[in-house]
Amino acid sequence: MKHERSTSTATLNQEEVVTEKSWNVVVWDDPVTPMPVVALIFRKIFGYSNNKATQLMMTVHHQGRAIVWSGVRDRAESYCVKLQANGLLSTVEQDS
Amino acid sequence: MARSKIFIQRKDGRIEVKIAPDAREFLKSVVDQLIAAESDGEHPWHGALHSPITPSADSDDPLRSFERQKMTATSAELMRLTLDESFLSQDEAFAWLASMQLGLRARTSEASIFTDEDLAQADEASLQTIRSLQFFLFELATTLS
Repeated sequence: MKHERSTSTATLNQEEVVTEKSWNVVVWDDPVTPMPVVALIFRKIFGYSNNKATQLMMTVHHQGRAIVWSGVRDRAESYCVKLQANGLLSTVEQDS
Repeated sequence: MARSKIFIQRKDGRIEVKIAPDAREFLKSVVDQLIAAESDGEHPWHGALHSPITPSADSDDPLRSFERQKMTATSAELMRLTLDESFLSQDEAFAWLASMQLGLRARTSEASIFTDEDLAQADEASLQTIRSLQFFLFELATTLS
């Protein structure tokens, strides 16, 4: 599955550049949330197409979790907060 | 006989709400609990509204926690204000969706329902609340989709 990916870089001096690993927004499965609700929230928060939102929702349902967005930490946490405020189980984790 | 829809998308963009007074009372009790739980640390729903954002960090950024609290409260208060309305704007309908979904998660967390097995063994009172909220959520989500 394709996810948006980005990394942030920080230049410490002219010779040394540190690349930070991506931060992932993870949505976890729960036994009660109706599936159309999950897909609708993905579309609303991320602007995903119906197909992509449904695909991610099915990944959550079948695999217990799905990475729904990856990128810089600040934005990942902002998305996670929106997902939580819409009642979905979500956390942020750094790429391993 | 076909069951009539309880949320109907109108051509002008509004969502018509056709739910009975007792169902509105039920939703009022859910949203009132949400509003109370947000500020009351002892409320059984409080923990479900304050789950970790970045579990690997020592603590979450307080600004993020405040942002979430503000969003939750805004949705709940907007739903509370519009509970007796016959028509909702899109923003109001999404506030209903967020608040009902938060209420559903908080109620299941209160009843320690985290898996399908937990759900199968849940008490009747919890199941009744969960099924009612699932019904309203499903109907609204399919209308908004």
